[in-house]
Amino acid sequence: MGLAIDVVKRSGRRPSERFDHEKLLRSVHAACLSVRTPEGEAESTAKNVTYAVILWLENKPVVTSHDLRRLASAHLERYHPDAAYIYQHHRIII
Amino acid sequence: MGYFDTTTSFAIILLAAVIHASFQLSVSVLTLLSGHALGRKAARNRLIKLVDGFVIGAGMMTILMLSTLGLIFTSSLPDGIPRILWAACCGASIGVGVAVWLFYYHAGKGTSLWIPRGFADFLSDRSKHSKNTAEAFGLGMTSVFAEFLFIFAPLSLTALILTGLPQHLQLLGVGVYSAVSLLPLVIVGTLIKGGHKLSTIQRWRENNKRFLQFTAGSGLLILGIYVYVEQVVQVGGV
Repeated sequence: MGLAIDVVKRSGRRPSERFDHEKLLRSVHAACLSVRTPEGEAESTAKNVTYAVILWLENKPVVTSHDLRRLASAHLERYHPDAAYIYQHHRIII
Repeated sequence: MGYFDTTTSFAIILLAAVIHASFQLSVSVLTLLSGHALGRKAARNRLIKLVDGFVIGAGMMTILMLSTLGLIFTSSLPDGIPRILWAACCGASIGVGVAVWLFYYHAGKGTSLWIPRGFADFLSDRSKHSKNTAEAFGLGMTSVFAEFLFIFAPLSLTALILTGLPQHLQLLGVGVYSAVSLLPLVIVGTLIKGGHKLSTIQRWRENNKRFLQFTAGSGLLILGIYVYVEQVVQVGGV
């Protein structure tokens, strides 16, 4: 699924990169596993969230990584609130 | 040449260790380390080894730092601790106590701590890449050292008190301080190894962060003022 969308990084210091749906899928999947979600459920949740984000991204040439994270969090919250909490907070634990 | 009687010495060491235990950097790093390990489907045994390695590393660094401070004080001050050093360490305790009240956590959500962001990112990155026991051990050591600014006061006052105790009690004091200061890590590690959700642990930490901040700050103030009155004001005959 090669969407030609540029992702502007959080601080703006690192160069933007192409949207990589696999990367999003992996991060949501890891968040689900980190709260002890069974493998199958983690996989389907990650797929559903990634699909919802891809739908939202259609016709958008540029998006910020912050927006991607916010949107993925909002969708993940519907499927798995505990995983969404860790997904939202992992950058502000330390 | 004890500065306090044995019971008072151990009571102060216990208070200092509880203050050390209420600091949260190591617990934050352990939470992240476990989250990354679970997220990459690490086997249960691997997770246990990582958590244990981290806790042992943190304990080792605590023992090393306390012993080093004790060694510096005893070897450089063979005639006893001058009042100025007591006053300086008590001042540090009071100053850090006020700083903890004001700055320990960043404003906003989460448990983000008042350490340089570059260093926080480094610890976060290392927790992601620590995949074996030795790396977790090193990370545990680093996380304790990274909080030196805050733990210096309880460590130095404990080291000063230990220098006035007989040798066998010095060892016991180092053991008591290290064991108590490690308690939060041991508890969180046990919960993680027992299958508790990280989200539950992290929510509890976030909900109670102001209480922990208040406890640590107040403890430092009480510790600093008490030792100051005992060793600077009363000994000096003011």
